[in-house]
Amino acid sequence: MALAVPARRSRSLLAGLVLAHLVAISHQVDGGGGVSLLQRGLLGALSPLQRGVGAMVGGVGEAWRGWAFHRETYEENRRLEGRVRQLETELQARSFQAQEAQRLRDLLGLRQAVPMDTVAAQVVGRDGMPWFRTLTLDRGEADGITLDAPVMSPTGVVGRVFAVGPHAARVQVLLDRDGAAGVLVERSRVPGVVSGQVSSQAAGAEDLVLKYVPERADVVVGDVVVTSGMEGIYPKGLVVGRVRFVGKGSGLFRDIRVEPSARFDRLEEVLVVRQAKEPFDTPRSVE
Amino acid sequence: MSRAFWTGLAIAGAVLVETALGYLVPAPGRYLDPFLLVAVYCALSGNEVHGMFAGAAAGWVQDVLFGGRVLGLSALSKLLVGYAVGLGSGRFLIATTAARSLVVLLATVADALLVQWLASVFSVEAAGLSPVALASRATLNALAGGLLFALVDRRQQRWA
Repeated sequence: MALAVPARRSRSLLAGLVLAHLVAISHQVDGGGGVSLLQRGLLGALSPLQRGVGAMVGGVGEAWRGWAFHRETYEENRRLEGRVRQLETELQARSFQAQEAQRLRDLLGLRQAVPMDTVAAQVVGRDGMPWFRTLTLDRGEADGITLDAPVMSPTGVVGRVFAVGPHAARVQVLLDRDGAAGVLVERSRVPGVVSGQVSSQAAGAEDLVLKYVPERADVVVGDVVVTSGMEGIYPKGLVVGRVRFVGKGSGLFRDIRVEPSARFDRLEEVLVVRQAKEPFDTPRSVE
Repeated sequence: MSRAFWTGLAIAGAVLVETALGYLVPAPGRYLDPFLLVAVYCALSGNEVHGMFAGAAAGWVQDVLFGGRVLGLSALSKLLVGYAVGLGSGRFLIATTAARSLVVLLATVADALLVQWLASVFSVEAAGLSPVALASRATLNALAGGLLFALVDRRQQRWA
């Protein structure tokens, strides 16, 4: 079964490959801003594969839902002795179309509500590693998407673009531990920073942590949290979520958890901001 | 050539599985790592060099399509895991489903710890895995790996 390889040769190969990887990783860590040529090239080369797979999986899902629907309709029609089979079929088919139309209408509504140049994109891949929370979109540089572009859904902020290829972009969602956004509590104007949690598997790990809020600050459960625009990535006033828990922190700051407005696991279409048409000064809800 | 082709095909299959899982299972509960299974199977059926290259290739694809901001963490981790498993498979008889499942279990733990360690070395913020999550991940991968390897071997024997 196993082929014999000279131990010295394999050790040399191992050392060479490990060194190459360490150099590649160090280069990215030290590189600062910008997308590396390596990342751009690899994303460009591999994203068509994922896009194809995503389309295939989506197609199979649609077919499955279609099959389930037809079966359900068939049983219903049998109870009604076949009188309304065609009517029910049409009704359900329109229901699918209506759901899709509603999603697109929400997206269009958001697009018209925000004074920014945006592009709609489909989510073709979701995070596959427990350490990072990311999405892959089917739009890239060719559609005007740039590094650090904010990404939104009709219900709230999703994250920012951290890698762009010609026809694909990868998004770091707010839940990622490495991601953060400057925010304000809409009611009391208390500033803070939201980010993902230390453990992706802990209870309530789908909540954001609101950091750097002093012990005496006016924050209560139910407060709406919006972007402050302080970090220079997200426009000011976009809804991030709602305060779910306020507790006593270990140091000078309170322990606050925010339930994100965006439903990260159910995202199918998002809006990517290409360029702000005008300053987005007035805080507003996009819900 | 043939080996590289089948490894490439297996990695493409892993992309399909991972993408499908992204649609079906919410992120915190997504424990299966098909890329690791590819690396371990290549190492078990070939040698340490095959395991090393398969691990690196699978890890790079995983990093680019599903990983975080810094590329190469999963690639380096799977490279080392592939090498270690390949080295082990040349010295020990790892032929039964139970033994292979145990190897996948250990490889999953090693891979997770390596990624977290590399992330901390390179100051990349990464969410931690709790012991329960790590154990669940290792167990699921071991079960899936044992079953999958047995199926692939049976298919190969039928073709031979």
